[in-house]
Amino acid sequence: MARTFKIGIFDDEEKFISSVRTLQEQQYPIHEVYTPYPVNEVFHLLKRNTRLPTAAYFFGLAGIIATLAFLYYTSVISWPIVYGGKPFNSFPSFIVVTIVLTILVVTILSLAVFSGRSKLYPGRENTVFDSRATDNKFIIVMDTEILNQPMSGRAADIMKAEGAIEIIDKEIENVNT
Amino acid sequence: MYNRKIRGPLIEGNKTFGQITKEVVAPLETRPGLWWYIALAVSSAAAVYGVYAMYITVTRGIGTWGLNNSVAWGWDIINFIWWIGIGHAGTAFSIFLLVLRQRWRTSINRSAEAMTVLAVACAALFPLIHMGRIWLAFYIIPYPNTRGPLWVNFNSPLFWDFTAITAYLLISVSFWYLGMLPDFGTIRDRAGSRIRKAVYGFFSLGWTGSSRQWIRFESLSFVFGGLAAVLVVSVHSIVATDFAAGIVPGWHSTIFPPFFVVGAIFSGFAMVMTLMVIIRKIYKLTDYITDNHMDAIARILIFISLIMAVSYLIELFIAWYSGNEYEMHAIIGNRVTGDYALQFWGMIVCNALIPQLFWFRKIRRNWLALLLISLVINLGMWLERYNIVVTPLSKDFLPSSWVTYTPTVIDIGVFAGTIGLFAIGVLLFMRYIPMMAISELKGVLHIGKKDED
Repeated sequence: MARTFKIGIFDDEEKFISSVRTLQEQQYPIHEVYTPYPVNEVFHLLKRNTRLPTAAYFFGLAGIIATLAFLYYTSVISWPIVYGGKPFNSFPSFIVVTIVLTILVVTILSLAVFSGRSKLYPGRENTVFDSRATDNKFIIVMDTEILNQPMSGRAADIMKAEGAIEIIDKEIENVNT
Repeated sequence: MYNRKIRGPLIEGNKTFGQITKEVVAPLETRPGLWWYIALAVSSAAAVYGVYAMYITVTRGIGTWGLNNSVAWGWDIINFIWWIGIGHAGTAFSIFLLVLRQRWRTSINRSAEAMTVLAVACAALFPLIHMGRIWLAFYIIPYPNTRGPLWVNFNSPLFWDFTAITAYLLISVSFWYLGMLPDFGTIRDRAGSRIRKAVYGFFSLGWTGSSRQWIRFESLSFVFGGLAAVLVVSVHSIVATDFAAGIVPGWHSTIFPPFFVVGAIFSGFAMVMTLMVIIRKIYKLTDYITDNHMDAIARILIFISLIMAVSYLIELFIAWYSGNEYEMHAIIGNRVTGDYALQFWGMIVCNALIPQLFWFRKIRRNWLALLLISLVINLGMWLERYNIVVTPLSKDFLPSSWVTYTPTVIDIGVFAGTIGLFAIGVLLFMRYIPMMAISELKGVLHIGKKDED
């Protein structure tokens, strides 16, 4: 089903941030913003958050436990060999492999989680609301289904007043974001 | 805090966002000059020689190399360490500067990371062909198998090395690719032809630049940064342990891990400089890779060169101070005054003395001087590895097993081949991938501008 979006286009970071702030303060629901580079202030305004570092920490814990368990299994249970009288569980020499494999586990799992959560994987085609967002424009997208008719007009006025260079309505089939 | 008044703008020429996109993507959208095809032909010729040498090695065995019973490690491991060292700096550069929030990295990190990936791939070839029966390489991977429940030796630095390099290659590729997603999105959105749009669209994985993607992207970059910083230090420390764990005089030394890590960063930074001088000269990207960038790399090189010089002196001092005659012979008798004096003094001149020219501002601002000195440093680092690997082995405890070592054409071919493959990789990188992180350049365009206004 086609949905109509109101899109505000800015060419200045400051004006864009100020517009997002005003819209947020007046409780206009913003669907999403698109920028050519990360604008940290907008993350705070839109209360965007990520738990990726926390997840990475737990992946690390899992990696350490799995690696040490594997090394213990191979060296003590499966095929114990005496190296120069050292104990089977010669823990200090396991540390290096544990660090490296833990990093490998965290890398692969974090990448997988990032790919899944951000919906970025080979063959994926996310909706591009305006192709200039990856070049030199900052874009605010609002869903007119959520905004009612008078709100939609007022949102456009706010963006215009804050310095949007263009405001367009775009109808899009099958939105992928 | 970046003080623009003192240090100058990170990007010169009052660029707009649109201009940055256009200028960085330009080499991808235009046909390359004749130089590009000539360079590709020359590197392909070197690569063909290399592939032939590798074919001979694999089919006839490593007896085709110049190794003998005493010098059982030769060019193969020298080149391996050399490439791994070069491969270090890309990530070291990118990651340490990311973690330390040095924003001037943005113009250089993409090429540095490309260099890392290519150099580590070249390095990985050496342990593989060194195995002789390359088709049994999978024996080193620990998994329950039909050869009996026999595991690889997890206590051996050689195995650590294998694990570390595999992990390092994977994380370097991931980090590099992650950084390219926004840029592929940019190229996709401005592409004229449908094929181009489809290809870059596929590689952009559906990047749109939404706030949700950006926050996770930034977060993952820092997670990768923190992890890879540990790897950078550990990978070369492990390579050093391959040597330091042996009882051969000249190898058995606690200074090796830090010495190797610093040496690796030294050679890698020098290679970054070589590439940067070439890229900014050919593509006229001096507004992005400014004199200040080159100056900063040169300053880092002086600092590392001094550390290298001190390390060389400490090696000599400890050889004397230990009172161990074998150590004395290996370090001083064989290197400083013996058969390998040329390599030793070459190393000192290239690594410790010539980089001191960077103390002069004029030299730091002269592209030809930068190019030549960076090449000299890489030659010096190769000689250093030659000294480390060959000199202690050629004259060990038993004078009856003393030999000299010379490489064969096959040894030389394998090395030339990896240089060719590396150069092909760099040329393709220049042609098909944006040489600078477009989105990151845009992010630093206005840094410090407010204070200036």
